[in-house]
Amino acid sequence: MSGAKVDVKVVLLGKAYVGKTSLVERYIHNRFSGDTVPYQNVITIGAAFGAKTVTVNNKNVIIGIWDTAGSERYEAMSRIYYRGAKAAIICYDLSDRSSFDRARFWIGELQKHEEGCQIHLCGTKFDLIEQNPELRKIQERETAALAQDVRGRVYETSSKSGKDVALIFTNIASDYLKSLKNKPVEDNKEYMVPLRDASSKRNWCSGCKT
Amino acid sequence: MDQIVNENVSPADLKKYEGLYLEQQRRGHVSERTQFDYALCLVRSKYSEDKYKGIGFLMDLLRSSSDNQTMRDYYFFIAIAYTRLKDYERALDYVEPIFKLEPNNRQAQELKAYIKKKLKNDGLIGMAVVGGAALALGGVVAATLAAIKK
Repeated sequence: MSGAKVDVKVVLLGKAYVGKTSLVERYIHNRFSGDTVPYQNVITIGAAFGAKTVTVNNKNVIIGIWDTAGSERYEAMSRIYYRGAKAAIICYDLSDRSSFDRARFWIGELQKHEEGCQIHLCGTKFDLIEQNPELRKIQERETAALAQDVRGRVYETSSKSGKDVALIFTNIASDYLKSLKNKPVEDNKEYMVPLRDASSKRNWCSGCKT
Repeated sequence: MDQIVNENVSPADLKKYEGLYLEQQRRGHVSERTQFDYALCLVRSKYSEDKYKGIGFLMDLLRSSSDNQTMRDYYFFIAIAYTRLKDYERALDYVEPIFKLEPNNRQAQELKAYIKKKLKNDGLIGMAVVGGAALALGGVVAATLAAIKK
């Protein structure tokens, strides 16, 4: 997949340990490495990249996913990575209130610098909440209100069970296909081959000159 | 790993973080964060000179760090820088210490595999060059022998 052209750039942002890498792991490789040690303390260095082809309505969309490191040390680098992203998956741990504040921080950043970036609010570790509802620190109505504010979508996912993980990326791919449809034809001019131009500027070799 | 290794910093970002660094330097104290941000831009610069400078900064940071996680990160980016410089042997020297800190670190494993692959490819190209040279030399020897026989 490394050499393939990416159609949609997606960036994952959020506090350290909310499970951004786990989400990508579940989506791309359909595995969950926290099975033995739940939510083990592995923290990403800088950023990681992964790509996957999503098929929507018989069309293939290649999604390139930049999984940024959550530690604040990498804030500057993460800013570089969200540039030009068509979609951002802003992750927060449903059982950690402070991670939601961090999510708000990233939303503010995106609204300031990347207006065209579609926001997907992604609550993680739903399996923990399901097991013990008392662990929930972020209410659905809060996230729904925030999503409405930023005209984004909202999900409650579990990378352990796989709940709603693929849905995010399918939505991103269909948004992309819709945006292509709405684009005026002129935008594609650069991909057209100017036939007439090519023939008029033909270079004759010395032998053909008359 | 291709994307991570080959990602270039934009000149605007390099300039921005260089500016922050120089500003702090002028004031007499460069924070670890500022040096780190600037170093990360430098190692992802197109120019070798910048990459070496970035490695230098990261090595200074490494020397003054005692925290496993930050040390791990410095090793990783020094390894990335040497990989970008195609100095694969030295890149490996900086990947290995990561396994002492985190034996199962996935990113380090992927980087190591990537470097090993590059080393192998380089080896094959080297062998092809040597092989080609041997063939050419053989040709010269044969031609000389033929000339002598005449």
